[in-house]
Amino acid sequence: MRLRASFLALAASLGFGLAAPAAAQDTLRIRLNADIRSTDPGVNRDANTDGLVWHVLEGLVALRGDATVAPMLAERVEVSDDGLTYTFPLRQGVRFHNGQPLTSADVAFAMERYRARETNWRCRGDLDGAVTRITAIETPDPQTVVMRLERPSALFLTTLARTDCGQTGIFHRDSLNADGGWRAPVGTGPFRLGEWRRGQFIELERFAEYAALPGEPDGLAGNKTPHVDRVRFTVIPDDAAARAALLADNIDILPDARTRDLRDLRARPGLTVHSSPSFDLQIILMQTTDPLLSDVRMRRAIALALDVPELVRALTEGGSRPSRAPIPVGSGFHTPLMSEVPARDLAAARRLAQEAGYRGQPIRIVTTRRYEAFYEIAVLAQDMLREAGINLELEVLEWATQLQRYTRGEYQMMAFGFSARLDPSLSFEMFTGPKATQPRKAWDNPQVQAMLEDSMRETDRARRIALFETMFRQLMEDVPVVALYSSTNNAVTPAHVQGFRSWAVDAPRAWGVRLARR
Amino acid sequence: MLAYVLKRLLVALPTLLLVAASVFFLMRLIPGDPATVILGDAATPEAVADLRLAYGLDRPVLVQFALWIERALAGDLGRSITSGEAVGPLILARFQVTAAIVFASVGIAVLLAVPLGMLAAWKQNSWGDVAAVAAATFLLSIPSFWLGLIFLLVFGLWLGWVPVVGYVTFAEDFWGALHYIALPVVTLALIETGVLIRMARASTVEVLRLDYIAHARAKGVPEWRVLARHAFPNAFAPTLTLIGLIMGSLLGGIAVIETVFTLPGLGRLLVEAIFARDYPVIQGVMLFIAVIYVVVNLIVDLLYPVFDPRVTAG
Repeated sequence: MRLRASFLALAASLGFGLAAPAAAQDTLRIRLNADIRSTDPGVNRDANTDGLVWHVLEGLVALRGDATVAPMLAERVEVSDDGLTYTFPLRQGVRFHNGQPLTSADVAFAMERYRARETNWRCRGDLDGAVTRITAIETPDPQTVVMRLERPSALFLTTLARTDCGQTGIFHRDSLNADGGWRAPVGTGPFRLGEWRRGQFIELERFAEYAALPGEPDGLAGNKTPHVDRVRFTVIPDDAAARAALLADNIDILPDARTRDLRDLRARPGLTVHSSPSFDLQIILMQTTDPLLSDVRMRRAIALALDVPELVRALTEGGSRPSRAPIPVGSGFHTPLMSEVPARDLAAARRLAQEAGYRGQPIRIVTTRRYEAFYEIAVLAQDMLREAGINLELEVLEWATQLQRYTRGEYQMMAFGFSARLDPSLSFEMFTGPKATQPRKAWDNPQVQAMLEDSMRETDRARRIALFETMFRQLMEDVPVVALYSSTNNAVTPAHVQGFRSWAVDAPRAWGVRLARR
Repeated sequence: MLAYVLKRLLVALPTLLLVAASVFFLMRLIPGDPATVILGDAATPEAVADLRLAYGLDRPVLVQFALWIERALAGDLGRSITSGEAVGPLILARFQVTAAIVFASVGIAVLLAVPLGMLAAWKQNSWGDVAAVAAATFLLSIPSFWLGLIFLLVFGLWLGWVPVVGYVTFAEDFWGALHYIALPVVTLALIETGVLIRMARASTVEVLRLDYIAHARAKGVPEWRVLARHAFPNAFAPTLTLIGLIMGSLLGGIAVIETVFTLPGLGRLLVEAIFARDYPVIQGVMLFIAVIYVVVNLIVDLLYPVFDPRVTAG
């Protein structure tokens, strides 16, 4: 006993801090490849942060699995004929984690904070002119919120529901410190924030009074009933260690298994691989202001020299569908026209390159090893273009450096990936725009920009699809980028995890999941 | 002695200032900035400008440096751009994890390597010596991440003796903590054992050739006493220097080990901060590492006279 006490005293004197009690048996344990940045929705964020926040906070609307928008805290959404007034009657019986009922005043309070410049909300600019402008937020009664817009927009509700905007999650004012700074989220979601030990884990606790919607879970909408008492997101940066943790029963969900591990994991009894097409985009960007690549014939030559289906098959082991369109194949706006992938034509590629005055000079493609796919895309492209006599040189950079080069447009070619864009207009917008003010944009075509703006205003689905198809045809003519594929999210669970579903966004959802053996 | 310590610490101040300035300006020369990394592929010029303004990165670099130094001298290392945490407490919290692993592993390595190295030197060119040198070379050659992953596979996955991920403190659960840190400690201890065996052996071989050892043997002093009383103090002094360097290096972060074993230590903090261009954290950690080197070297210098009376502190 004295020996044990001495050990404890010694340990305390050495300052063995940061204790982490072992996870309880009724805890769902999920791998997180890096710690979250904060709990402030849509402010200091990344994909992991968004994936944590959506368990705690809910917005007026939420994204379904097919990226369409559904009411969440709102009972329904009423849009005026001119598209300038949105009325959100709130659902009855919704309570915050502190027991307070949700009212329209809470919504107005949260929206005011989002719109304040000092908040640095990621989507403030979108709702302050870029997508539309909110001119007024009114609360005619405790259960109704009215938002008035400067101009109609097809993207307004999508913007409110975007995960990178923190779903414009409605939080209670108890979430803030006395000075107005963010403290911790007090929301209406199926889980409340428990303990966050930075660099180690974040634990969520089931919210017993959660007001679940009827029906089935659907994306971030629908029925989000929590079935486990706690969820622990364990930070495991190393992929091999995460895989070992799954096999050693130290975690219950590996949400982002590596493609190279899938064959082995599928072969193991008791494990299930859940695969879903993502809404991200793997792409090769070309700098159209570069002396060589400003000639569209050269860009077309490069596109024709690439064997896109073979490249995608090699990278994803058949898990993803090749597509030259930026709108993901899982989107309801992806049409058969967009699924057409032109065949590789080496002879035409050589001829076009020659016509463009190409004489074998090296073209540099920027890539990084931070993301496996970017590097492999560059390597495979180099090999394929060599067969057409095009000399591609790899410039491998650290990720932050590549990101800066991308932001400044300082590259000839770049293997890149865009995070999930859930509206088709945004799928084009991510690389379309004026280079003079936004050097990161790869496609600077004023006519297309006009069409893009039309698509953002247009609310009729058929007319939007027509616009997107026209833009896609022009994209294949101009070839400022070569879209390749949307990756596939592969999550792995053991047999005792039931009810888990992967979906278009690569962060997992813990609601609806049960632990059968516990 | 106290005057010597104070003098050494004063002399270290310009070194620390130089480190602080070098890290500060070199980080600004590296492409990429925190605002771009935080905003990612959707970074509009306006959003980047807003974030740079919020973090004070829009000011001239010299002004930023002066402000940082002024606060650092007052004990405030700023706040992490990534997480908003105060850098000082963040470093101390992460250092506790690293220190626990490093003290334990270096301690084990010293206890293993010094006797082994001395015995190998004593029995130079015997099978035992060859085996010790071969083992040391083997351990030196193994990358720590590979050894760590193999240990995870064997002891965590196949045998199930230890958890694969996680960390528990001694204060909260002593035996649980032993389970969690066993593999990282053993991994690091084995790697460092290889280095120390070679040093202990080489310095003992040198010492055993000296006249005073022959004299002691001629006087009929027992062999164990020759080794323990006469050879060890002189032979250990160079090893002590190496231990100091190893401690300084490892306490500054064992990023690979911390990543493989999912430990929230100082090395992982630094690596993640570099990737995120989290300037205040990088600057704070690098300054802290420089302080560690100063302190560890000072301790080694103060211990030196204990083993080698020819050297006097001060």
